[in-house]
Amino acid sequence: MLKYFFKRLLVMIPMMLAISLLVFGALELTPGDPLTAQFPPDQLVGMSQEDLDALREAVGLNDPMLVRYFRWLIAFFTGDMGYSIQTGTPISQVISYLLPQTVILAAAALLISTIFGLIFGIIAATKHNTIWDYLASVIGVIGISMPEFFIGIVAILIFAINLGWLPAQGRGSADATFIQNLRYLILPASSLGLSLAAALTRYTRNSMMDVMNQDYVKTARAKGLSESRVFFKHVFRNALMPISVLIFLRLPMLIGGSVVIEQVFGYAGIGNRLLTAINSSDYQLVLTIILMLSFVALLASLLIDLVTALLDPRVRL
Amino acid sequence: MSENKKKIVKSSLAKENFYKLLHNRLAVLGFMLMFVILMACILAPLLTPHSPTDLNLRHMGKPPGGEHPFGTDKLGRDVFARVLYGGRISIAIGLSGALGGMILGVIIGSFCGYYGGWLDAIFVKIAELVSVFPQLLLVMVMRVILGEGIKNLIIIFVFTGWIATFRLVRGRFFSLREESFVEACRAFGIRSSSIVFRHILPNCLGPVIVQLTLNTAGFILQEAALSFIGMGVPSGTPTWGNTINAAKELLNITNYPWLWVAPGLAIAFFVLGVNFFGDGLRDVLDPKQQ
Repeated sequence: MLKYFFKRLLVMIPMMLAISLLVFGALELTPGDPLTAQFPPDQLVGMSQEDLDALREAVGLNDPMLVRYFRWLIAFFTGDMGYSIQTGTPISQVISYLLPQTVILAAAALLISTIFGLIFGIIAATKHNTIWDYLASVIGVIGISMPEFFIGIVAILIFAINLGWLPAQGRGSADATFIQNLRYLILPASSLGLSLAAALTRYTRNSMMDVMNQDYVKTARAKGLSESRVFFKHVFRNALMPISVLIFLRLPMLIGGSVVIEQVFGYAGIGNRLLTAINSSDYQLVLTIILMLSFVALLASLLIDLVTALLDPRVRL
Repeated sequence: MSENKKKIVKSSLAKENFYKLLHNRLAVLGFMLMFVILMACILAPLLTPHSPTDLNLRHMGKPPGGEHPFGTDKLGRDVFARVLYGGRISIAIGLSGALGGMILGVIIGSFCGYYGGWLDAIFVKIAELVSVFPQLLLVMVMRVILGEGIKNLIIIFVFTGWIATFRLVRGRFFSLREESFVEACRAFGIRSSSIVFRHILPNCLGPVIVQLTLNTAGFILQEAALSFIGMGVPSGTPTWGNTINAAKELLNITNYPWLWVAPGLAIAFFVLGVNFFGDGLRDVLDPKQQ
C-alpha cells in the first residue's frame, strides 16, 4: 500500500510542475509590471525610474525565463507568493484565510452527493424497474441537465426566502463556532453537489445491477448467505469501484463549480476572491489562486485514488 | 440533424438503428425538446417583434403578460426575445465547441491509436493533465491570456473538449488495428491514412457521436455558468447565461423572477433534451457502454 502511495505521489510531481509552468507562462503573457506583484505597493511609491530599474535588476527580473520560473516556484512553496496589486496584502495571507472556506464547501458537497447518490442508486438497483427506479433515473437526468447556479437560485428562493429555513447569503459570523455556521453551508453545498449526486445515482444503479448479475453473487446466495451479507460483502464492495472512479473524474468539476456557487450565495471563499481579482486585473493573485486550486484538485484526486486502492487490491498492482 | 438521418437510413443496419431510436420514448422526447427549442431560436424574428438588445425605458421591469410574454428586464429589453436570440448564440457556442473538440479528438486519437509510440505517450500525458485541472479554472487561465469574446470561448472549449473523444477513439483504434480486416488492407498496400480514416474510423463513430451530444450539453451549461459569473460572453451580447446574470442580485430573485426563470428553464429543457437524446443514441449505437 505504501509503495502504491509513493508511486502515485511520484506521478503527481511532474503534473504539478506542468501546471505551474502553464500558470507561470500565463503570468508572463499578462500585462502589468512584475515588480508591483513582488513588493507591497507602499514600498514602491515615490521611487524614481532609476531606482525601479535597479530594484528590478537586484531581484533578478531581467534573468532568463527559466531561472525566474524556478525562483518563482521555490518562493511559492516557501509561502512567499507576492502581493495583491489591488489591495497590497500578501497573497499567502489571502489564500490561507479563504482557501479553507472553499475546501470546506467542496468537501461538504462531495459528502452530501456521495451519501445521497449511493442511497438513491442502491434503492434504484434493488427495486429496479419499479416506480422508484424510474423516479431516481428521471431525477438523475434532470439533476445533470440543470446549471448548478440555477439550482442555487431556485434553492434560495424556496428554502431561504419563501420558507425562511436557511440563510440565503454569506458565511455566518466569524465569532460563531463551526457548528453554528453550518446552516450557511447547507444550501451552497447541496446546490454544488446536486449534479454529482445525480450522476452518482445513475452510476451506482448501473454498477450494482452489473455486479448483481455476476456468477459469484449467485454462488454467494447458493451458499446460503443471508441477503444482507451478500449485499454488503459481495455486491456493494465490488460495485464501489466504478463509483469511486466517477468521483475521481468529477472532482475537478466540483472545485471549479465552487467558484460559481460562491457567487450565487455570496459565500466568502477563494472563488469569490478569484473573480474580483480577475475583474481588477490582479493577475498575480488570479494565477496564484488558480495554481493553488489545481493543487487542491490534484491532492484530492490522490486521496480518492488511495481510497480506491484500499477498496480494491487489484488497483495496487 | 434530419438530413443527416436520411443519409444514414440507406444502409440496413442504420435503418434498424433508426427504428430502434424511434422506439426509445425518452430519446424521441429528447429530440422533440431539442428540436422545438432550436426551431424557436432560429425562427425568433417570426415569433417576436422585439429585438433582444433594444432598450425601452417606458417598459422597464414589466411582469410577463400582454405585449411581453416573459416580461421585460430592468432596461426594458424583452425577455422572450432575449431567450430566443440568446439561445441561438448559446447553442451555437456549445455545438461549435463540441464539434471542434470532436474533430481535434478524432484526429489526434486516431493517429495516437494507430501508430502508438512516443507521440501517443505525450498526448496521453497531456490528456491526463487537462482532465485533472479543473476545467473552469483552465477556461479562466485561457481567458486571462486570450481575453473576452465568443470566438475565444469557442477556442477554449475546443482545447478543453477533445479529451473524452480522444480517449474513446484511441481505445477503439488499439483493438481495431489488430483486426484481420486492417491486416488485409495493409496486405493490399492501401495507404496508412486511408486505412485510418476510411477503414478503421467509421467503426468508432457511434461512441464519438454520443460524446458529441454530451459535450454540447456540457458546454451549454458551461457557457451559462461562465457568463453568469461574468467570465464568458461579453455582457452586451444576449446569451442564456448573460440573461440569467440578473439573478446575481438577491433582490431580483424575489422581485423579478421572470428575469431568470425563463432563460434558466430554457437551458434546463434544452440540455435535458440533448441528454435524453444522447442516452437513446448510446443505447442504439454503443450498446456495450450502457
